[in-house]
Amino acid sequence: MNSLIKEIKDSIGENDDLLFTEQQLKDLSVVLFGLNSLIDLGPTIKQLEQLGQKNYSNKEKQKQISQLGEIKRNAGEITSLLLDGKLMIAPSPNADFVVSVDPVPVKLNRAIDQITNENTMLGPFVSFNEDSLTNIGVMRKHVVSEKIRVKHFLTGTHNKKELSLIYYEGIVEENLLQTVLKDIKRNSINDLHSIQDVTKMLGITPYSIVPRVKTTEMPSEAAQSLLNGKVILFLDGLPFALILPSVFADMFFLESDKNLTYPLMVSLRSLRIAGTLIALIFPGLYVALVAVNPEVLRLELALSIAQSREGVPYPAFIEIIIMLVVLELIMEASVRLPKSIGPTITMVGGIILGQAAVEAQLVSNLLVIVLAATTIANSTVVGVQNLLSIRLLKYIVLIFSSVFGVLGILAGVFFICAYLAGVSSLGVPYLNFKQSKGDGSHG
Amino acid sequence: MLKKIILFSVLPFLIFPLSGCWDNRDINHRVMPISIGVSKMDEGYKVFLQIPEPAPDRLGTRIVTGEGETINQIIDNISVNMESAVDLLHVKVIVVDKRLAEEGLNDLISGFIRSRDVSAKAVIAICDDDIDQFFQSMENSEGQEGTILLDYFEKYSGWDPHIALSRVWEVYRSSHSYTRDVAIPMLKRGQTTFLEIVGSAVIKNGKLVEVISSDETLLYNAFKNKSTRGKIEVLDQASVMVISNDTDYKTEFTDQTPSLQTTFNFSVMILETNGNPSAQEIKKNLEELLLDRYKALVVKLKTSEADILGIGQHFRKEIPRKDLKNWRSDYYPNLEFNPIIHVDIQNYGNLKHTAN
Repeated sequence: MNSLIKEIKDSIGENDDLLFTEQQLKDLSVVLFGLNSLIDLGPTIKQLEQLGQKNYSNKEKQKQISQLGEIKRNAGEITSLLLDGKLMIAPSPNADFVVSVDPVPVKLNRAIDQITNENTMLGPFVSFNEDSLTNIGVMRKHVVSEKIRVKHFLTGTHNKKELSLIYYEGIVEENLLQTVLKDIKRNSINDLHSIQDVTKMLGITPYSIVPRVKTTEMPSEAAQSLLNGKVILFLDGLPFALILPSVFADMFFLESDKNLTYPLMVSLRSLRIAGTLIALIFPGLYVALVAVNPEVLRLELALSIAQSREGVPYPAFIEIIIMLVVLELIMEASVRLPKSIGPTITMVGGIILGQAAVEAQLVSNLLVIVLAATTIANSTVVGVQNLLSIRLLKYIVLIFSSVFGVLGILAGVFFICAYLAGVSSLGVPYLNFKQSKGDGSHG
Repeated sequence: MLKKIILFSVLPFLIFPLSGCWDNRDINHRVMPISIGVSKMDEGYKVFLQIPEPAPDRLGTRIVTGEGETINQIIDNISVNMESAVDLLHVKVIVVDKRLAEEGLNDLISGFIRSRDVSAKAVIAICDDDIDQFFQSMENSEGQEGTILLDYFEKYSGWDPHIALSRVWEVYRSSHSYTRDVAIPMLKRGQTTFLEIVGSAVIKNGKLVEVISSDETLLYNAFKNKSTRGKIEVLDQASVMVISNDTDYKTEFTDQTPSLQTTFNFSVMILETNGNPSAQEIKKNLEELLLDRYKALVVKLKTSEADILGIGQHFRKEIPRKDLKNWRSDYYPNLEFNPIIHVDIQNYGNLKHTAN
């Protein structure tokens, strides 16, 4: 056994899916090796067999094999090609070169699917999938322009992953592009597994309550971002586009809104803004009005609230915290659970727990209404990450309002506004309402 | 660095010990009276709290009384004896008895303003009846909503242009003003309705000096440019309903004599007629009726030297500050008052009118 093949075996030989076999292609005897978890071996050999028809001399044989693909002599390079799913052919077990061939691959990617997490009423239903090349293809279908630029970067030291960058030449914010390019090049040895790794690579703090990177599985959203001068990253294995930078408007404005007429679009977007405010303020408002400033309420309302809270053992703040925690648990559980059990949890949580808690006089029935309104309103926000941010931020308002009452709501909202105003990623402030170049309106 | 992180993560928790938030009482642990009655005893006061009590399928009423030297002492005593804390922030109506009003409301009102326990927006009214029975009957009357007094004065509910509406802060302001007094409604128990309006009490410097009828109160409200819409005036030949009204003033100050020309415009609608009077007749008669009433009102007010219409406000810029405090005694009785009343018959009801 020669040193080249031995070297390769030393580096990845402990894997049981490493295929290493001598194969007779008609008259031509060769050594094949590759990872059989990535290579569909049967069809591949059938393809190769078509080549070895004639009787070859040894020299002719080498020539014939070397024509099949690229000749490689470096063990390290060969290893990474193997991990990429290439098949290696060596003329004999102790040849000093191998030929890397594109085999018939095992199908590891799902087909382009419908969007699953971000629903849209009007708009394309295509979604991104785990293969970044496919995603780039989908993007090219959405924005047909010679100005689209695609750049690939191989990142990572132990875990090689392909990171692709797309932007629209001429429209993209030049500073943003340069910063991103510089950061990717400088940190290309970082291993990328998750969005956190990507943000770290770009020098964005991971300690942020609001998302710094907008994620979407809708190609139409991503396409509009390109036209607004943003850049898109695809990390191989993540089934969504990472759009840089994320701004406040992403919380409310959805690209597919533009398939509606203007008044409908405006009212829909206002509804989302109202929903966000309700989700932020309602729990705090309940505590403020019930515990701190009941004089703000109309008398009739005050009396009926007082009546509904008769016999409730906990102060309003504790009461709402208990129910909110239960509610958050239900929400988290319904994400975790398999789809077949999900509805059961919803029923147990919503109907039985809510109803029983009221009837056992643990909480007032007004609180259940408040919580339901909050949860529903919360879901009007665009994007999963934004939804989680709002879910977390409402506790700030809640704590302030339990201490300072109605004034505390103002303080809490002011605090949140101040925080948002302080956030900026890649030189773009989060509260950036400036109209971008290109399309001339927000996406 | 670590010290800083610890410091800044501990600081937010100081909000809890520093804010005093443990004193917050939940709404179901507060007693929220909606009206207070105050009567003068030989020594000190007697206080009535009307507390709405949610009974099954309606809002009942509970009356709690207490006696003592000062209002705050009484409220405090009641609070001690009750199962929840008394919270006066929802008080909407303050009823005082006539005797207290005659002796002077200043101490009471400034006490309310000073402690801010009672909202300055609360309406103040005088009870021309035995206040003890007045409140007792509120508790006893079956089928009575607990918010009856409140609803009586609410503009969206029971208020009528016949009723003068004065808030605590207005009474407080008037007792410190040289040129403005207030009228507050006077109530008693009715025969078939729970309340009956007697008229309005003219309060000068915090003391009741005169009573005006409810018809005169309507003019008082019209003078203040409050809407008198819906008020029905009865004449010999017809009854009409006021649809809208507005008021214009023109003032003159010559030789230490103030004169005020006021133009009232009433738009009315004819409801019923008796015989077949012409529109001109109705108009003329109505104008005369209102004019006479106005003149009588002003004469009455001048005699009692109480300026509830706030006429003095128009002359503040003419009279030197040092003389202003004598407005009521020196200038006001000499006031030349020229009311001009225009009546516009806007429509004849839903009948097709061919006459005229």
